[in-house]
Amino acid sequence: MAVTESTSAALVWAPADPGIVRSVGDTPAPHDAETLIRTLYAEHGRSLLAYATRLTGDRAAAEDVVQETLVRAWKHAADLTTGKGSVRGWLLTVARNIVTDRARARAVRPAEVADVLDKPPVSVDHSESVVNTMVVMDALDKVSPEHREVLVQLYYRGRSVAEAAKELGVPPGTVKSRSYYALRALRAVLAGQEAEVSR
Amino acid sequence: MSEHDRTQLGAYALGALEPGEAEAVDEHLATCEECRAELAELNEMKDFLGEVPPEAFLEGPPEGGDLLLQRTLREVRELEAEPPVPVAAKRRSRSRWLLVAAALVVVAGALGGGIAIGRSTAPEASNAPTAGSKQVTTTDTASGATMATTVEPRTGWSWVQVHVSGLKAGDQCVLLVTDKTGKSWTAGSWVVSEKAAKNGSTFAGGVLIPLDQVGTVEIRTVQGQQVVKTAI
Repeated sequence: MAVTESTSAALVWAPADPGIVRSVGDTPAPHDAETLIRTLYAEHGRSLLAYATRLTGDRAAAEDVVQETLVRAWKHAADLTTGKGSVRGWLLTVARNIVTDRARARAVRPAEVADVLDKPPVSVDHSESVVNTMVVMDALDKVSPEHREVLVQLYYRGRSVAEAAKELGVPPGTVKSRSYYALRALRAVLAGQEAEVSR
Repeated sequence: MSEHDRTQLGAYALGALEPGEAEAVDEHLATCEECRAELAELNEMKDFLGEVPPEAFLEGPPEGGDLLLQRTLREVRELEAEPPVPVAAKRRSRSRWLLVAAALVVVAGALGGGIAIGRSTAPEASNAPTAGSKQVTTTDTASGATMATTVEPRTGWSWVQVHVSGLKAGDQCVLLVTDKTGKSWTAGSWVVSEKAAKNGSTFAGGVLIPLDQVGTVEIRTVQGQQVVKTAI
């Protein structure tokens, strides 16, 4: 019954947007599969597994998702050499798509069939946010480390100005002004990218 | 905050100010259009940040050993051993991708829909049935059940999906597929829930019968009573 996996396998082979993923500085030659997997795992494994665990709510399922994500990265290695968006953004996006696809596959499995109509697939179409995740990650890569750090503290970790000040070892006033300039810098980077695209 | 202090607005937009500070900003915003415009721009950036999950900022390998790494390496080694090896020769792997891309375009064309190849790195699976599928809808006058059947071709076997309404809650059902020689295969069994009885439900399973050999699809109760049956 778990057929949907194998039938959708062909989709795994769909070409990556050429140039969607920028090369990591020390990315090994694509033919060295083992080194590539080891490098990706060492750099991004924790991030990927934590994300997949939150999405699936299940550590074992999350590990499967991470494994498939890394295998896909390897399959696309030849194409993943230049372009926009960070490797991290690409990996997280692929992981999310795998989770979505699996949720869909589960929806046609008999055991849960009576509930199919009540449980539409978890998400409808990610293609918009597929682009945005990578664009925003890329933009965050381009702002200064201080700016990125303060956004991570205040937005992603939900810290208050006082907590972030303590964490970063700077006065609260600096956290405030830095977060303002960080958002301005992010806007400038994103605006620059738009200008590039529309040219 | 009676005068412009834009540097407060970043932390305000991110919800990181103390309640008292935020109130002061609120008061100023009520009277200052310029700052409201500025805040709108900052809020837009905040929405963009929402596109990236918080886990994106964790570094390093997962905690708790490298069993997962070993499993992944094993899978890659096994895949590498199988011809054609996708990364052994760039040219070859590319041409394979192009073939699959071409196949996807053909399928998309056949369905009359559009699949935006290349927009997303992992394209969405289509909900539309595969090209070459057979579809039949039947209502059984005795049981009152209506079954919309789709049989999709697979290599050497078939994927049978039925959307059924008019089943009784609590009925234990079997989906039977019979080939043209009269041999029957069970594509699965289930019990009808209250919701499924009320709203209808979808059920699917695979059977080892090539599409052109599928004779009939039927739903029976476990007790052997025929509920609805259709010829394909």
